[in-house]
This record gives sequence, C-alpha cells and structure tokens, in this order.
Amino acid sequence: MTPPLPSRRGLIFGGAAVSAGALLTSCTSNESNEKGPAQAGGGAADDKPGKAVTVGFAGPQADHGWLNAINEQARARAKEYEDVTLEITEGSNDTAQQIGQIETLINKKVDVLVILPADGKALTQIGLKAMRAGIPVVNLDRVFDSQQAYRCWIGGDNYGMGLNAGRFIGERLKDKKNAKVVELAGIDNLELTRQRTEGFDDALKNYPNIKKVARQAAEFTVESGQAKMAQLLQAQSSFDALWNHDDDQGVGAERAIKQAGRDEFFMVGGAGSKHAMDAIKADNSVLKATVLYPPTMAASAIDLARALGQGKGVGGLAEHEIPASLTLYSAVVTKDNVDEYLPTGFS
Amino acid sequence: MAPVPDPAAPSPDPSASTAPSASPSASAPAPAADRTAPDGAPLLVMTGITKSFPGVRALDGVDLDVEPGEVHCLLGQNGAGKSTLIKVLAGAHRPDGGEIRWRGEPVQLTSPTAAMSLGVATIYQELDLVEHLSVTENVHLGHEPAAGGFVRRREARESTAVILARLGHPEIDPDTLVHDLSAAGRQVVSMARALSHDVRLIVMDEPSAVLDPDEVENLFRIVGDLTADGVAVVYISHRLEEIRRIGDRVTVLKDGRVAARGLPARTTPTRQVVALMTGRDVEYVFPERPAAPDPGAVPEPVLRVEGLARAGEFEPVDLEVRPGEIVGLAGLVGSGRSEILETVFGARRPTAGRVLVGGRPVRPGDVIAAVRAGVGLAPEERKAQGLLMLEPVVRNVSVSSLARFSRGGWLDRARERSAAREAVRELSLRPDDPDVPVRTLSGGNQQKVVLARWLLRGCKVLLLDEPTRGVDIGARAELYALIRRLADEGVAVLLVSSELPEVLGLADRVLVLREGRVVHTAPARELDEHRVLDLVMEGSPAR
Amino acid sequence: MTTGATSGPAVPQPSPPTAAGPAGNGPHPPETTKDPAGPGKPGGPGGGPGKGPARRVPAALTDLRNLSLLGVLVALVVVGAITRPEQFLSGDNLTLVLTQASVIGVVTVGVTLVIIGGGIDLSVGAIVALASVWATTLATQEYGLGGILFCALFVGLGCGLVNGVLIAYGRMVPFIATLAMLASARGLALLISDGRTQVVSVDSVLQLGLPDSYVLGIPPLVLVFAAVTLLGWLVLNRTTFGRRTVAVGGNAEAARLAGIDVKRQRLKLYLISGLCCGIAAFLLIVLTGSGQNTNGNLYELDAIAAAIIGGTLLSGGRGTITGSVLGVLVFTTITNLFALNNLQSDVQQIAKGAIIVAAVLIQNRTARGSGTT
Repeated sequence: MTPPLPSRRGLIFGGAAVSAGALLTSCTSNESNEKGPAQAGGGAADDKPGKAVTVGFAGPQADHGWLNAINEQARARAKEYEDVTLEITEGSNDTAQQIGQIETLINKKVDVLVILPADGKALTQIGLKAMRAGIPVVNLDRVFDSQQAYRCWIGGDNYGMGLNAGRFIGERLKDKKNAKVVELAGIDNLELTRQRTEGFDDALKNYPNIKKVARQAAEFTVESGQAKMAQLLQAQSSFDALWNHDDDQGVGAERAIKQAGRDEFFMVGGAGSKHAMDAIKADNSVLKATVLYPPTMAASAIDLARALGQGKGVGGLAEHEIPASLTLYSAVVTKDNVDEYLPTGFS
Repeated sequence: MAPVPDPAAPSPDPSASTAPSASPSASAPAPAADRTAPDGAPLLVMTGITKSFPGVRALDGVDLDVEPGEVHCLLGQNGAGKSTLIKVLAGAHRPDGGEIRWRGEPVQLTSPTAAMSLGVATIYQELDLVEHLSVTENVHLGHEPAAGGFVRRREARESTAVILARLGHPEIDPDTLVHDLSAAGRQVVSMARALSHDVRLIVMDEPSAVLDPDEVENLFRIVGDLTADGVAVVYISHRLEEIRRIGDRVTVLKDGRVAARGLPARTTPTRQVVALMTGRDVEYVFPERPAAPDPGAVPEPVLRVEGLARAGEFEPVDLEVRPGEIVGLAGLVGSGRSEILETVFGARRPTAGRVLVGGRPVRPGDVIAAVRAGVGLAPEERKAQGLLMLEPVVRNVSVSSLARFSRGGWLDRARERSAAREAVRELSLRPDDPDVPVRTLSGGNQQKVVLARWLLRGCKVLLLDEPTRGVDIGARAELYALIRRLADEGVAVLLVSSELPEVLGLADRVLVLREGRVVHTAPARELDEHRVLDLVMEGSPAR
Repeated sequence: MTTGATSGPAVPQPSPPTAAGPAGNGPHPPETTKDPAGPGKPGGPGGGPGKGPARRVPAALTDLRNLSLLGVLVALVVVGAITRPEQFLSGDNLTLVLTQASVIGVVTVGVTLVIIGGGIDLSVGAIVALASVWATTLATQEYGLGGILFCALFVGLGCGLVNGVLIAYGRMVPFIATLAMLASARGLALLISDGRTQVVSVDSVLQLGLPDSYVLGIPPLVLVFAAVTLLGWLVLNRTTFGRRTVAVGGNAEAARLAGIDVKRQRLKLYLISGLCCGIAAFLLIVLTGSGQNTNGNLYELDAIAAAIIGGTLLSGGRGTITGSVLGVLVFTTITNLFALNNLQSDVQQIAKGAIIVAAVLIQNRTARGSGTT
C-alpha cells in the first residue's frame, strides 16, 4: 500500500505528522459552552454545618455514562457541604482491586464509607470488615449479600423499572388489538438485566392484548445497541412499542431506527440520560419516555453518610435514625414532566 | 582429479551390513570385542535405520552396535545424521525403517519415556533443563520420589547430593536454581538426571563443547567411572584427541550413512578418521578449471575483505575474489568459516575491518546494503535461512528481485513468472515447473532455487555456505558444474564446505582456517587433501 | 566403495506426501508425459513421483479452504431461508448484514495482513475505541466531517506507528506490544470521553449513515468495506509489498537473508492495521452517530477468529483476504440469523463457538484430503 518513502518525502511526512499531532491533541477537549455536570434535584439535606465528616467513596470504573454521573453527583454533593471531606478512590471493575481500595480507606479511618461495589456479592466481606471496624457503610445500588455488611442501603429498583416501563407501554396500548412489543435488553449476564425484564414481563401480563414478540440483549454500548436494534427491526417488520433498558445503548438504537426509516412505534428508554430527555422534550423522534434509574442516588448517599457521621436523622422523616434501606422510585419521564427531571439527566 | 580417501579405510558395504554382528568391520578388528556381555548379546544393535524429512534423507540405512561398558564414539560432519540418529535412540524421532535390538530383543522406541524406561539417557547439546527449577527438581523431573502425591523433598534432595558427589561436583547445592549455574554446571545437572534413572546407556552430544580443560578432565573421569560400572556411553565429539583418550570404538557417519564402523578409537590414524568424515567415497566429477588467466588481463577483484574480524569468532582476515574466481574456505567445524561468510554478507556485524564490493565499502552488518551492492548468500541452513517453504518455486526465486518486476509497487506477475521460469530452466531444475511448492523439492533442487534467486538478481558476489549439504550424491556434480558456470559468467564465488575434496576440487584458491585464523593461502592445484588436513589440525585442536 | 554402491538407491527422492493428493483433484495423467528428464536420468532428484500432484496443491488448498467456508455460509443462508424466509432473503437484510460486517470487516483486513506477516495485533478494538472517541470530542466536531475523518485516520495511524516502532525497532514481542497498546488506548479513550457517550451533531456525518446517501441502494459503509477489501486483496496479491509480507511471515530469517528490510516491512504492516482501525472508527461513528470508549469491544478476537477460519495461518506466511472477509460474513450472518429467530445471547455464544470449531475442523479435513501433511 505504501511504497518505500524516500527520506525527503519522509521528512515532509514527519513534519505533517507532528503538526497533525499538535492539532489532534487540541482535539481531545470536550469542554463545551453548555453547563457542565447536572446537579442533584433537591437542595442539600441540612445546610447547617456540623461536625466535620470524612466520607470514603469507592465505586467501579466510570466507563459508562451512568456510572460517571454517579461519581459526579457524589463529588458535587460533597462540595456543597463545608463539613464533608470526600476521599474518592480510582474506580475499578476488578473485585480484588476494589477490596484493596476500600481497605485503604478503612486504614485511613474515614468516618463513613459509601460503596458502590463492582459486584455486590463478592464485596460483602469487605463491607462486614468495615462495619466491624466501626465505620458505618452506605451501600449504594448494588446490594451486599448480608444486611450486616451495611448500615444503610440506597439504590434503584430494577424490577420496578421494568414494571413502570411495562405499565406505561401497557396503558398507551391497552385499546389496541394484537399490540406487539419489542424489548432491547442490557447485558444478559447481569442480574439487573434479568430483574428489569422480569418486571417488564410482569407488567405486560396485565394487558392480554399485548404480546412481546422479540427480545435481544445488547451490551450497554452504543455500538451493540445499534447492531442489535438493526437486527430487531429487520426481524419485526412492524410493532407498536419498544422498551430499551439503557439510554446509552439507546443512542445506537435510535440511530438504527433512523437508518431503517421506521417510525410506526414509540420507544421507552431507561436510566434517564440528558440526551434521552432532550429528545423527549423535543418530541421529534420515536422516543417518548424514559424510566429513571436516577444517579442522584449518589448525592443522597452522601447526604446519608453525612447524617450518619453527625448522628442525625433524615430531614422530613419522623424517625430519629437513618432508615436501613431506601429504594428509589423509577419515575417515568415523559414530555409532560421532562422539565422537572432535565437537571438530573446525565451525559 | 579428485582425491579419493585413503584406500585403507574400511569399506562396509551398506547393503550387506544388515547382520547384527557384534564384531566391527572386517578391516579393523576391535579390541572391544572381548567386552561383549556374558550372554553374548551386545547392549544395543541398530540395523538399517532410515529416516527421511521432506526433501532430505537424514539417515539412510545406518547401523550401530554398542557393547556394555564401552565408549562408542560417533563422528561426522554437521548434517551427517548424528543428531537424527541419537534422537531415534532417545525416542524423539521414529525411524521410517530398520530394526533396534536391546540386549538381543527387538524394541520400539516410540517415545522418550520408552527409551528412558529401557535405560537410555541422552544429554543433549542444548540442555533440556527447566531453568527456573532447582537442581533437585530438575534431576528428579518426571520421577520425583513421592508419597501420597507429595514430593518427598528431603529424600530427593539427599539423593541428588549423592549423585552430584559421584559426579565430582559436591559443591553444587541441590537447591540452587539451574538458571544460576554455569554451562558446565548445567551439564553436570543434566548428567545427574541421567544417573538418577537406572541407566544402561548414556548418549552425550558434544559434552566437552561447553567445558574448560579441567572440567573436561572431570568429564573423562566420570565417563571412566560409568563404563567401569558397565554403563555404555555413546560419545559425540568433533575433537579427535578426546576420542583417542576415552573412546573404545568409533563409528563415522557421512551423509546419513555409515562411512566406517567400529574402528579402534586409539589406533586408527587421525588422517584416516578425518578423511572418512570429510572425504568422498565416489569419484567427484568436478568441472574443468578455466585456464589460468593472462597475467596482464587479471580483472580487478570484485570482493575485497580488509581486516574483517569478529571478536571471539575469527581474527582479522583479508581476502580478495575476482570475477570468475572461486575461492574456498577450508577448515574444521568451529574454525570460523561460516562466521566469516555471514559477516561478509552483513548478517553478522564485524568488530573490525570492512568489506568492499566493486571498490566501494559496504555498510557493515547490513544485509540489505550487501544485497544492493550485489552480494548473495546461499546459507548453510537452507530451510531455516534460505527458503520460504510454503511458497512455490517462482516466489522463492523472485523474492530478492521484486523491485525489478514492479512499477510503483505493483507487481508485473507475467514478467516475474517468465523471468523466474527462465532462471529455473537455466539451472535445469527438476521438476521444471516454477509452481511446485519448494518444500516438495529435493535438497539439490532446493539449492538450485536459492542459486536461481541470486542469478535472477544478477549478483556479482556469491557466498556459498555448504552448498551440497543434504544434497544427493548424483545431484552434486550438477551443482558443481553450475557453480563453475556461474563463475565463468563473471560471478565471484566464495565457498565454504566441510568437505575438503569439494573445496579443493571446485575452488581456484583456498584459504585454510584454523581456530578463527587463516593459516595458509594457496592456489587449489598446489594443495592436496593431506596437506590441508595437516594444516587444519596442526598442533591438534586441543584447547 | 564404488560409485555404483552409493548411487545404487537411484536417489529415492523421499517422495513428498503430496503423492497421495490427486484423489481430490480430479484425474491425473501419468506424469511421465510431462517429464522430459524422465526416468532416463537416474540422478534426477525431485523428478518423478512428487511432481504432478504437487503442482496444483497451493492453489487448490486455498481454494478449498475458502470453498469450505463458502459452504458454511451457504448452509447458514439455507437455514435462514427456511426459518425466516420473508425477512432473511430480503434485499434489506442483505444490506443490513453487509453494513454490520463493514466495521469489523475493515479491521479484519488489516489484522489479516499483520498475521500473514508473522505478527499479531491485539490492540485493534482499543484503537477503534480511541479513534472514535478522539474524533467525536466537541473540539473535533467543530471541524466538521473532514475534521472527524482526518482525526480518526490519524489516531489510527499514530497507534499503528507506535505498535510498529515498538515491534520492528524496539524488538518487542507483538503480543506484548499490542497488548500494552490495548490497555493504554482504552485508558486514553476513557480519559478523553470520561465514560460519556459522545453524540455526534455534525449533520454531514450523520447523513452518511442514513438511506438518503445510499449509492445505487448500497450504503456508503458497505462501499468503503468493499474498497478496503479490494485494496487489501490487491496489496497482498499484486504488489511487492504483499509478496514481501508473505515472505517475512513465512520465514523472517530467510527473508532477511534475501535482502528484504524485515523491520520496515513490519512497521508498515502495523501502520496499515492502524489505518484500517481509523477507517473502521469513522465507519462506526457514522453507523452509531456517536463515539464511546466501549466501542470496538473484543474486535481483536473477532478479527483474529475471522482470519483463522478464513484459512490464515496464525504463525504467518499464509492467508487470504477473501478467506478473512468470508469469515467476517459468516460471523455476521450467524448473528443476523439468531436475531431474526429471536434466540438469546446464551444460545448465540454457544453456537458461535461451535461454528468456529466446525469451520476449522472442516478445513483441516479438506486440507488433508487435498494432500498436505
């Protein structure tokens, strides 16, 4: 393909390469004029500064929009409190590595730990260890195997997400005969994917006129979303509704839909990305709704951690103590309420 | 014109040597005969062993018999078939034909384990030790003393220490990693491993090559101890004086056949042994040398080597080759002849000196520069270094001249093909078909493909390293004629060969090498085999 | 010790095993007619037995490999036609399969060349990810279509350059060097994107993936794939570069001693692989309308698997672009077939593994039948 370059040409080529390199490095910037990270919905829990609290935060590698939003929410929330110092670890998807990171935090004697484990079951022991060391643990989203491993769990509701998506679709299609529904799931070997599908199926059982005709699993990536959606569209020449588990892979799915030139159905997303909410608001695509799996839970986790550290309860509740578990509601965001949720959308 | 080896040499007729007679060849009554085991059967008799690899017949009816308690030396040039033979003996290669009898019983050596269980242990030149295990672990590898699946470490360690002491190396700690031992130390470990089995026959492949003189003495002592215990040793070495000291009988291999069998190791004249190794048992047919050129019209040398040296391999060498001239490098293995050739070609980087082609210096250590300057090499290991075995003849021939058949990188395949076909036809390749895969060709024809490559490239200097290695006898004459013809067409040829008659018969001028030094230069017609043998062995290759 | 005794065996050329071959290759005339040197010359090594059948082995071999793969493809099509006749055989579906194959297909062409040249490239997926992310940052998007394309290609080339220099001149083992590139390119992609999906808002880029820009009903992606395949084929079969690649992969030492600049050859091969990754990244951007650091997941394995079932020797020195592209098409068709039949991921993965094994087994059998050792 490339004939041997004489050195003279080589020089020119080299020079071009260097300048191209310089141009390229300037291209790594992702700064935009728009407002950056989304803010958590509600105001801070209790703005009056109290006893200083050091919160250790350990999460998985932020290689995905939602996880990235989790980190940002935690950081932003901690910054709002003068009395909170956040010790945040480099995220890791490796169980052993995450255990090591958490042990470091324990050794540093942080006051409270917020842990989003890469794998809840596998990290149970380290949760137990922290609790035994007298450090209360706020378990974020992916639940530990034992209740003794955390003081408080806060997280999303995967089953509820499927349930709400199914209900929303069911209500819109309940008067249509022989309605067909298609599901684009997430990574199949994750428990959460199975829970979402289970909730979705349970909800659809209430609507005998609706049949789920196809389901394919993508991998939470744009690329896989595009590929699987393209195949689904080919397999089903016509259907009425689509539920996509994840708004990130939804970017690819929407692309496939556009490429196939199809618009006879409506689409419901999952998780609640800013991109999806923008599309819902604009109302110019098949995407009509998305079911939340709010990353604001990380901000709430910081609130809980602070309250635990200062020995307070949660404002607005009669309880003197922090609850043992908080399951968040998976609200359905539609055009009607999108403005309310837009600030929490992650990119 | 070609010298014929000493007629006194024993001449076992290969076709008649099937009788597994314990007595060595007729002309050399063996003093070892009386060592035959009490039951009369020799320890090992191999008869008519054959083994072929694609393109070459490595063993062609080889016989070998070994008595208990003797040191049987195996001699032969590189490629004579020694390695293949000992691999057959070690169970690493399965022979295509022939019979192996062990203490009179026919056996199949189907695997190294089978050979081991008979009591045959082999100490290879490239030692097969696991570097990152300890001495003990290596010695007992595969047969660890164990109880209930657990290695009995102390027992293994103690028995290792005992064996090491027996080998005269009690100073080697059984817990050292083999990685940390010297070459000699590793060899001791390898030998200890052999002795950790109930061994009846030990094959040693050039064991002294890595040893210092005093270590060699120790090796000899060990060999003496072993044979006193009735263990037989098959000993391979290039060093004749070693064979004189410890050997009982000698078998000489040449071109995959037995050149002489059961010679008395101590009394056979050195010259006879060397002649058997290097000589030729057929009348060579060498092409006529051209008449001596008119002294006034001697062409300028096209290849000039000035003070070329590589530390540790060969000392500064000067030589010139004129167009049309064939210059031979003669010497024993290890004399530096191949190294010189590869350094001239730039495949090795010289530590001193320079190479000029057509009066212009060539960048040292740069093959591409050498090829551009018009130098071509037919390497010693034709398959590993010369040929693209998966590819057809045409691509092997054109590979060095691709630029000629291309414009802007695009190949003109028709031109490539016809040019390659032409070159192949000129060398009368058989089959005369440029599309056959080169791996299906015989050794001689494979060599022709390499020559055709450089012929097509139009090179001015041709370096030939063992051009007839692995080439059938009949095809050699043809190659000789070809090489001479190339010279006549104006190519300067520098030739290396283990076979003295080949160098003397083919070359115009000969440089005799000994231990990395040129000891003599003379026109080939002024030399004969005896004279060269004296030169290469002068002072004996003792180290 | 006579001449007669030694030349007695009449140079029994160890007749290469190809002699067993002709069965598969149709009738063979006795070779005597073709051998003028014939039996008359006893010293004629290499004449005689090995000759006739040997001639056709290399061509027949590659053909057979590709043929068996083509057989697998045909079998898949038959299954598709039976199970989902309406959807599977439609023109739309053909377009879909080819489109889905184009990204990994372009990568596979580069990887095939690298493998034939005796190397391996484990970093292709990561390079695709990095290039797709780098080319879709907000800063790059300001330069429009040209900026995105240029950036993707240059990032690919740059990574290929690093791989090539490390391997050819730094004497690193290709496996390790490209493994290191895999890790660092993925890391850099994550760093740049921060794990976000970077949606492309440049209309001209988005437009390329939509039906409006199809040329004669063919998506531009598929055209690029076809062009890269054709170029790859030409480079391998019709250029000195391709010839040298085969030589270096087949026997690097022999190639060096034949005067080929082995190092430069290796460098160029990794450059090509990097460039292919850059092209693939651009195609992926067009296809998905975005860049993401998770792009190109496991491309390295898919590409290598496609090349291997396409008959490329993992040790180098032999392989075809056609075979690799057929391999890619087989994989894409499987995915398509399963999705159309609504089979779930678990079944898909099991079947994919089974088909790799089956394809290679069939090839080995046909190869043996045609007379190789």
